[in-house]
Amino acid sequence: MQKEAAIREPLILGHKTYHDITEDVCRPIEDKAPKMWYILFGIALIIGLYGVGCILYLLGTGVGVWGLNKTIGWAWDITNFVWWVGIGHAGTLISAVLLLLRQKWRMAINRSAEAMTIFAVFMAGLFPLIHMGRLWVGYWVLPLPNQFGSLWVNFNSPLLWDVFAISTYLSVSLVFWYIGLIPDFATIRDRAKKPLSKKMYSILSFGWSGRAKNWNRFELVSLVLAGLATPLVFSVHSIVSFDFATSVIPGWHTTIFPPYFVAGAVFSGFAMVQTLTLIMRKAMGLEAYIHTKHVEYMNIVIMVTGSIVGTAYITELFISWYSGVEYEAYAFLNRATGPYWWAYWSMMTCNVISPQLMWFRKLRRSLLFTFFISIVVNIGMWFERYVIIVTSIHRDYVPAAWSMHYPSHIDIGVYVGTIGLFFVFFLLFARFFPVLALNEVKTILKGSGQSYKESPDYHNHH
Amino acid sequence: MGITKKYWKGLEELKETPEFIKHKEQEFPHQQTIEDFLADEKLNETSTARRDFLKFLGFSVAAATLAACEAPVTKAVPYVVKPENVTPGMPTWYASTYYDGVSYASILVKTREGRPIYIKGNKDFGFTKGAVNPQIIASVLGLYDSERVTGATANGKLTSWSKVDDAISADIKKAKDVVLLTNSIISPSMKRAISEMALSLNGEGGAKFSHVTYDAVSYAAIREANFKNFGAPIIPSYDFSKAKTIVSVGADFLSSWLLPTEFAKQFGEGRNPDGEWMSKFIHFESVMSVTGSNADYRGMIKPSEQAAVLAYILKGLGGSTSVDSKLKDSAKVAADQAIASLKKSKKESIIICGSNNVGLQMLTNKINNLLNTYGTTIDMNNSIELFQAQDSQVEKLVNNIIAGKGPDVLLMYGVNPVYTLPNGTDFAKALKGIKTSVSFASHADETASLVTYICPDHHALESWNDLKPKQSEYAIAQPTIRPLHNTASALESMLVWNGKRARGGKDSTVAYDYIKETFTTLFPTADFAYTTHNSCIASTVTPQSLVYKDAPVTGLPKAGEVEVVMYQKSAIGTGIHANNPWLQEMPDPITKVTWDNYITMNPVEMVEAGFVTTYDQENGLNIATITVGNKSLTLPVYPLPGQALKTVGVALGYGRGANGEKIGKAAFQTKEYGGYVENEDGKPASIGGNAYSLTSFSNDTIEFSAIAKVNKADGTYPIAATQIHHTVMGRHSIVRETTLDIFTSKDKEAYNPAHTLQRLNKDLEHEEAPVSEFDLWDAHPVEKIGHRWGMTIDLSSCIGCGSCLIACQSENNVPVVGKDEVRRGREMHWLRIDRYFASDEESTVGTRKDKDSFSYEKAEIAALNPKVIHMPLMCQHCNHAPCETVCPVAATTHSNEGLNQMTYNRCIGTRYCANNCPYKVRRFNWFNYPSYKKFTEVNPAQDDLGRMVLNPDVTVRTRGVMEKCSLCVQRIQATKLSAKKDGRVVTDGEFATACSDSCPTNAIIVGDWNDIRSTVRSSSEDKRSYQALEEIGVKPNIWYKVKVRNEVNKELNKLQVVKETAHHGGHGEKKAHH
Repeated sequence: MQKEAAIREPLILGHKTYHDITEDVCRPIEDKAPKMWYILFGIALIIGLYGVGCILYLLGTGVGVWGLNKTIGWAWDITNFVWWVGIGHAGTLISAVLLLLRQKWRMAINRSAEAMTIFAVFMAGLFPLIHMGRLWVGYWVLPLPNQFGSLWVNFNSPLLWDVFAISTYLSVSLVFWYIGLIPDFATIRDRAKKPLSKKMYSILSFGWSGRAKNWNRFELVSLVLAGLATPLVFSVHSIVSFDFATSVIPGWHTTIFPPYFVAGAVFSGFAMVQTLTLIMRKAMGLEAYIHTKHVEYMNIVIMVTGSIVGTAYITELFISWYSGVEYEAYAFLNRATGPYWWAYWSMMTCNVISPQLMWFRKLRRSLLFTFFISIVVNIGMWFERYVIIVTSIHRDYVPAAWSMHYPSHIDIGVYVGTIGLFFVFFLLFARFFPVLALNEVKTILKGSGQSYKESPDYHNHH
Repeated sequence: MGITKKYWKGLEELKETPEFIKHKEQEFPHQQTIEDFLADEKLNETSTARRDFLKFLGFSVAAATLAACEAPVTKAVPYVVKPENVTPGMPTWYASTYYDGVSYASILVKTREGRPIYIKGNKDFGFTKGAVNPQIIASVLGLYDSERVTGATANGKLTSWSKVDDAISADIKKAKDVVLLTNSIISPSMKRAISEMALSLNGEGGAKFSHVTYDAVSYAAIREANFKNFGAPIIPSYDFSKAKTIVSVGADFLSSWLLPTEFAKQFGEGRNPDGEWMSKFIHFESVMSVTGSNADYRGMIKPSEQAAVLAYILKGLGGSTSVDSKLKDSAKVAADQAIASLKKSKKESIIICGSNNVGLQMLTNKINNLLNTYGTTIDMNNSIELFQAQDSQVEKLVNNIIAGKGPDVLLMYGVNPVYTLPNGTDFAKALKGIKTSVSFASHADETASLVTYICPDHHALESWNDLKPKQSEYAIAQPTIRPLHNTASALESMLVWNGKRARGGKDSTVAYDYIKETFTTLFPTADFAYTTHNSCIASTVTPQSLVYKDAPVTGLPKAGEVEVVMYQKSAIGTGIHANNPWLQEMPDPITKVTWDNYITMNPVEMVEAGFVTTYDQENGLNIATITVGNKSLTLPVYPLPGQALKTVGVALGYGRGANGEKIGKAAFQTKEYGGYVENEDGKPASIGGNAYSLTSFSNDTIEFSAIAKVNKADGTYPIAATQIHHTVMGRHSIVRETTLDIFTSKDKEAYNPAHTLQRLNKDLEHEEAPVSEFDLWDAHPVEKIGHRWGMTIDLSSCIGCGSCLIACQSENNVPVVGKDEVRRGREMHWLRIDRYFASDEESTVGTRKDKDSFSYEKAEIAALNPKVIHMPLMCQHCNHAPCETVCPVAATTHSNEGLNQMTYNRCIGTRYCANNCPYKVRRFNWFNYPSYKKFTEVNPAQDDLGRMVLNPDVTVRTRGVMEKCSLCVQRIQATKLSAKKDGRVVTDGEFATACSDSCPTNAIIVGDWNDIRSTVRSSSEDKRSYQALEEIGVKPNIWYKVKVRNEVNKELNKLQVVKETAHHGGHGEKKAHH
């Protein structure tokens, strides 16, 4: 059992016992779902199905149903892809990097953050698939032995690296998440009364018995996976950024992209975690476990990564001028003052200015303000990708080919649809999975729980 | 020896076993009858279990279902008897001649398996020397128009030719008067047939038969002026290649005036900056035309100011005239240049006027006479036989018909008066009053839909014809396909109705025999077959000693506050090809707008009047109503830089099929999800408005300008343009331009500097090095090994006509996508022609006046009267192609001959390649163009007949794949194959791409760059050659050549100097303080 300094704010508020934790986490799963859940689920499902309809129409008719053109070959599709991948960054960062760094506060949020990651990566992965002109031959991006002669994939292409990066990231995250779920599933299984749910949870818990041997292996595997996942946190978005950085397009061809994209991804990922957990803690009565301190920690991450992103923006601007390259200079001038100035300045406001407000302790500990900023950040991060992708190619080298991008209603439908689908997944998760890593949280109850910190026993030790 | 050989079939037979003997009698096994089989008791024991039964049933149903799912069978029927000259897979070329009443050229027609699929210019024979225009190239598609009239009709219903013939012959016989209204007939045989008819009809008593020639766009004033000045109503030959100074007052001679095919070629010859001299070209006009965009000096004038310009020049040259010569400043600079230049070049000059006003043409004659150009650049002996209309006769006839005093029989050939007459609607009403009206039209068009009988003529590619475009030449047009429909040669019809010949049916030789007869009379010693093979033969020009005599100039156009010009666009022209989707989708060379006509107005005036001057996919243009007299047209207003102030322009040729006449599927507005936009009466809405209605008969000629009023109307109108940004933003490595002075007096470094980049040398000091020395990648092994296909494009020669674009579309099966998709920036053209206007920030296109004060904002706006550059841009076939590295599946790769090749069936459609293309030349198949309903009306590939035009050598691309210029790889392969068969190397000039083939000015040269003696190699190493965007290091296989303008540009002279430390272009441009 680890203990931390008494002056640190406790991570678990109130006088919780081990049993309380179990009860708190399992209650939503074992009780009937509240009406609100059904309403939210219904809305998410309708939006999600509309998105699916749009995708089916897209697949049936052609990519032309989107607002793309001869100059702008990617717009909302890849913007959404990068946006979702970025969101999908927080989970692994929290579970892997913070695990290695022994940040105990992560335990309150890692489960839902990982779930969010996986669902976000699902949504992200959808876009490279449906943006293809011929999805039905999309498997050609895999280096499969084939009968087409000597045809092989092009290992020079960053898109191919994307395929490997995203699929690796998804599979490692999924395994990591699932491993963490096993002991918690076992707890639910042990409490389950209905035969069906008992059966289901016993399958899901892989015969977990809770013996020391199990725990020993669990810890080992977690560490190994954390070690595996940590480089992935940095590699995925670096590789996504290569899609742009390795090109010749001014505004894309930028060497600072990998760190800048990774910081941006963590930035947006944490913002999404904030959005989700702030609602979840309230809705599911988990205020004791996810409280102001957690939110403050995350806000600090948002502030730091936001500052990195802001620095990157300004560096880009400076370099575009300093390089003296005609096209580079114009690309950035055009971003700030061209027809898409509003997108650029939305991005700047949302991503550079808003996180700086977190310097104020009062603001970063305000839950309402945090919720607001978390939404703002994700709007800003969507615009960042839109600005990078669209404003760079809409006016590149040859002015005669310059163009404007107008989204079609299918563009909007698919994007909104993925948000719907994401929430369908997340609501199902919240309903049937333990949203808190309950067995892990129990490990910090003694060290970081309020009641233990206040107990005389605790003070006697130190 | 009594040994009998024993043959046996098996050991059983040899040994004669009992079984063998038993079976020997029954060589074939016993056939059991069904009754026996069913009666067999044992049958019940051999049970088929229920499961087995279900298995069999399941299998049979599945098999039957699967068999039914078979892909549709496409039958390829082999030739039973192989026709001569048709080898499957091998093209056959026919020499022929194109004439549609407006355009003329000697052509070569490519046929595959008996289908004509491609037209190019005949470089070996004919005075047009291989020059063609977009309409001629696209005319092959017209052959396969599925809405052609398929046989003779009476009152709109198909009937038999014999019935129609009988009726018309009888009507002609009965009639008091017969009028034949035709476009300019240049066929000697047709003329003979007409005169025979006249003879036989008039012979019976009285002048019963008359022939009136009507050209929709008339040049009657030239003939009339020459009649007054020389006593002969002729149009002379012009030779622009001999003119050191060319002055044109409103004559768009590179695109629409008289004989643009010949003139463009000649103009190109005289514009060679590498030659001994280069012509200086001064142009005055109201609407920026293709010709005006190529001028060295361009004056903006109102149509009514043409007289003043001509008078000013005349007086400047020492002549005298009573015509007022007061000029505005906007034209004075150019006029002074013209005078100075004309004074120098004297008789080696040419001055022409585009107006159809007799007085203006007489003023022009006067200047030409003063300069003594007759005999050098203008040949009065070798007259042009095109455009024979006498507008006054047309006016008289039309007025008679409208007044109800029309002839009993009206035969109409090659004309569409209901559409093209200023008073076409009145004519349409009156046409019903004529007892027998006959049209030879191919479609039930505006006029033909109202006539009694349509006797459709063959398409030009289906029929024999003879043509005499000029005194010096007699040409033959030969059929390249058996008539698709039950049509008949108009010549034959004329002969039949005159009782001279009998109908010959589908494979009639009547016209052929008659033409051959004419030929033999004209050329008794020449061989017809040989002439057909060449498509033409020289005929003797009888010298006429025509002497100029002065005549009073009267009837000049009146001036107004605002004047409108009715002009022709290079794609749609007079409107005869308005149903041709290739031409409708061809971006106008100047405005880059497709599928529409519009009112052109100078953006400066538009801003003042509150019109929007920018447009894109979602933002349309304002609408205005233009009123001339009591007629008006409501159209969008297009901001056209270079439009003379207080003038507007409207293109002719639009507004076809206003009553939903069946003139072709593509002639109407289409909706976003397919189908036609309908007007109030539920008929398909025509494209644009009919500007002919604004023309008028005045001073005995049809006038194509008028005094007008323009009033802003409510609403906006979507515009489909392929280019929405009009300047090059001061970028110097895309297009390059210099003046002749700089080019001849300064080093290459001054006007065509090579790009350099900075690097650190061994001593860690900065040094400049050429771009070629910076390389991230291994070079593709294309240099010095095998072929390396390359191309040079001379921006100095390119006039922007658009022939290459249409030729490319025709050769490469480029789909037509319609207005809505073009508006969305999705046109599929593999080759586009970028047009850049200079801004006030630039001393010429692409050269900044002052680098420090350069404003991007101002650079976006074209100058009031901007200089223009046309830049054909297609795949640059980069040796370090950015598209190739990013494709995840290696669908686009580099060939070892330097080509960037696109493998359609490997493409998964990520569009990454298109994004990463610095030139933005890749085109994505957003939809399934050959089948999606949105394109049914516009894409010929969706029409059973239309798809016959497809080139079988080029794949029709499916949805979801990328495509782009292949450098006509199918032609490269064919060329290599034929060289291989002959056991030789590919010779220079043997291979041509569609674009290089069709260029009237030879601006595009292709060939094997590795062949050090090739033209393309030497052209690419010329001091004018550069590669677009060289500094990004993609190493294209296409070179451009600096445009040279023959002008004095003091600013440019100061800017284009050899710098002490060579340091230009992208890198370090900001800190260049030399």
